[in-house]
Amino acid sequence: MKKIMIIMLALITMLTISACTNDPTDRITIDFWHMAPIGSEAFTPTKQLINAFNESQDTYFVKGTGFSFWDYWDKIAVAISSRTAPDIGLSTLDDVPARASSGVLYNISELIAADPDGIEIDQLYQNQLDFATYQNNLYALPFTATTRVLYYNLDMFQAAGLTEADVPHTWSELKTVAKKLDVVSNGVIQQLGFDPSYGNATYHGWLWQAGLDFFDAELNPTLNTQKHIDILYWIKDFNSEFTRNQLVAFGDANTMLGINPFASERVAMMVETDGLYEIIKNANADFNFGVSYIPIPDEDGIRVNWGSGFSIEMYDNGKNETDQKQGAWEFLKYLMSYNIQLSLAEANGWIMAHKGAMTKFAEDDPILQRMLEEVAYAKDKVYVPYAPSWHGNDWQSYYTAALSGAKTVEMALQDARNNYLQKRDNYNATR
Amino acid sequence: MSKSSSIKKLKKQENFIGYLFASPWITGLILLGIFPILMSLFISFTNYNMISDPKFIGFENYRILFTNDNLFWQSLGNTVYHVIIAVPLGIVVGLSLAFLLNNKIKGMGIYRTLFYLPNVVSVVAMSLLWLWLYQPNFGLINQLLKPLYDLLKMEPITWYLDPKLSKLTLILMGLWTAGGSMVIYLAQMQDIPVSLYEAAEMDGAGWFKKATLITLPLMTPSIFFNFIMGLIGSFQVFTMAYIMTSGGPSRSTYYYAYYLFDKMMADKAMGMASAMAWILLFIVLIITILALRLNKYVFYLGDET
Repeated sequence: MKKIMIIMLALITMLTISACTNDPTDRITIDFWHMAPIGSEAFTPTKQLINAFNESQDTYFVKGTGFSFWDYWDKIAVAISSRTAPDIGLSTLDDVPARASSGVLYNISELIAADPDGIEIDQLYQNQLDFATYQNNLYALPFTATTRVLYYNLDMFQAAGLTEADVPHTWSELKTVAKKLDVVSNGVIQQLGFDPSYGNATYHGWLWQAGLDFFDAELNPTLNTQKHIDILYWIKDFNSEFTRNQLVAFGDANTMLGINPFASERVAMMVETDGLYEIIKNANADFNFGVSYIPIPDEDGIRVNWGSGFSIEMYDNGKNETDQKQGAWEFLKYLMSYNIQLSLAEANGWIMAHKGAMTKFAEDDPILQRMLEEVAYAKDKVYVPYAPSWHGNDWQSYYTAALSGAKTVEMALQDARNNYLQKRDNYNATR
Repeated sequence: MSKSSSIKKLKKQENFIGYLFASPWITGLILLGIFPILMSLFISFTNYNMISDPKFIGFENYRILFTNDNLFWQSLGNTVYHVIIAVPLGIVVGLSLAFLLNNKIKGMGIYRTLFYLPNVVSVVAMSLLWLWLYQPNFGLINQLLKPLYDLLKMEPITWYLDPKLSKLTLILMGLWTAGGSMVIYLAQMQDIPVSLYEAAEMDGAGWFKKATLITLPLMTPSIFFNFIMGLIGSFQVFTMAYIMTSGGPSRSTYYYAYYLFDKMMADKAMGMASAMAWILLFIVLIITILALRLNKYVFYLGDET
């Protein structure tokens, strides 16, 4: 027993010593928070990228810490709040100005000005850079991109006597084609052609295509025009030949089964994010499908989709850590370089922000190529300080009330607008 | 050195050692208990978005909540509805179960275990399970009720999808865990002296009279305990609505604690959320103090007064 204890103790000591030698104290440690925790598929490739950086130089040592996607946001919010944020980390692109205005982010434009060749700015999408800009300066860089497209099931098209040439591009075409794809048996919907409230299709997404939004340029809520009302009616009445109960039961069954209705071949066409493509690929689905841009209004329609992405940011904890700042900048340049962006795309399956890297990544993948086309037409939701979740919690109850008929469309929009107005007044009263 | 001073010194030493041993607990209480509570009180008087420093704004958060926040009153109304129905119903079901399981029949231990078992299931797992059971289209409950629907020629009940029924649906689901209070009732029921029942039987009392004139009065301490605990717990109802309905449909299950959570996580309004927490504390405190007045109707066995 005594011998075993001695051997164990010796082993622990050796491991401790060897661990210490991997964390050189003579280098400046840079904390990097990411979303590839131990146990996740992306952990090993992410770790390899960090190791490669550490091996490439003798001044800085990056210590990566991975959290799951669901845990990450609380952790980073608390860390920023308590001024213990990592030197560099990921966050969301749409609310960069909120953090920048609070002084917790370093000015990236200043770093680029001092090191002009550090970042290939022309390789990043301007629509994403706009969201990372506060008072004409970049306070973050877009790290990943997302987009929304129309997925269509070619097998279902074929069964309905349609071809890829029939893929709809306008709202009226969408309705005509969708109706040909509905399958109903004994009053129960077996297959649905399309529903504008399914998947990742949103009311604000449809509004954008008609040149409308929830808020005006001064962030005052709108929602009170006839066009807003008409579009919500269009969503509500798209499948009006079915009862709301039939539609809810069909949709709810999809949710309960925990599978995407398009991936499970229950819906013929659906608006979804690029993430669905990864799900279908990973599931080795054997049906034929394609993607296209989301159909737009017949008159004056705008080709636009809701796309967002992660930002990469350097955090200023107010401690005047110039070494950390410089180290984080070196690592940021590394992460945003062509090769690393390509490697990250391969590791995570994400669409990365670097256009050149993504073109290479998608060169043998026509579906991904089409999705990359749509990234250029993507637009992120505006950040509204008095209602950060304006598209989520604040809107969903009114949306479902309108769709279910619990409220008229006009009433739902009016009530939603009143709620935003009240939130705005209360926010201003506490500033 | 006099004897009294050396005793004093010894006492001081003892006190010091005592505090030293208690220090981990005291430190924990101060750092993890009292400090966050006092901090949340301070934050409730500030505008704090969890990024910038808190800005003191006096009672503004409280004023807004009481005078210009429709959702505050709606969520409070939903919660009060839940408390008014769920607490008495929980007591009735718990007591009924205790009466049923206070019999000497074969396998009673198994029955008692079965009724208690839902209490060891996490609320999240329970909510997901009941989501399946209540599912209007293929859920087990509607499948069982199908003959009734056919007979009455009515549409199947949509349970948690119907704004008028959603709160009741969650309350009914909550009764699944009534076995927890049942155990307490059962323990007290078995503590009632048999001699009282024997005397009542000699006086010609039947089951109903024995239950209402002996069992129930002597059960009042545990009923009272479960009532108070139920009140406090019901005001904090959150998880079931979060998992099953997301506060819907039409905010019909948007409870006070849910709104508080959204104020903090979605709106990043930590000051307002803290104010809500303190308002809830006061509401629960006042109702509990009022409820404690019912103590005079509680009969404690062996209490001469």
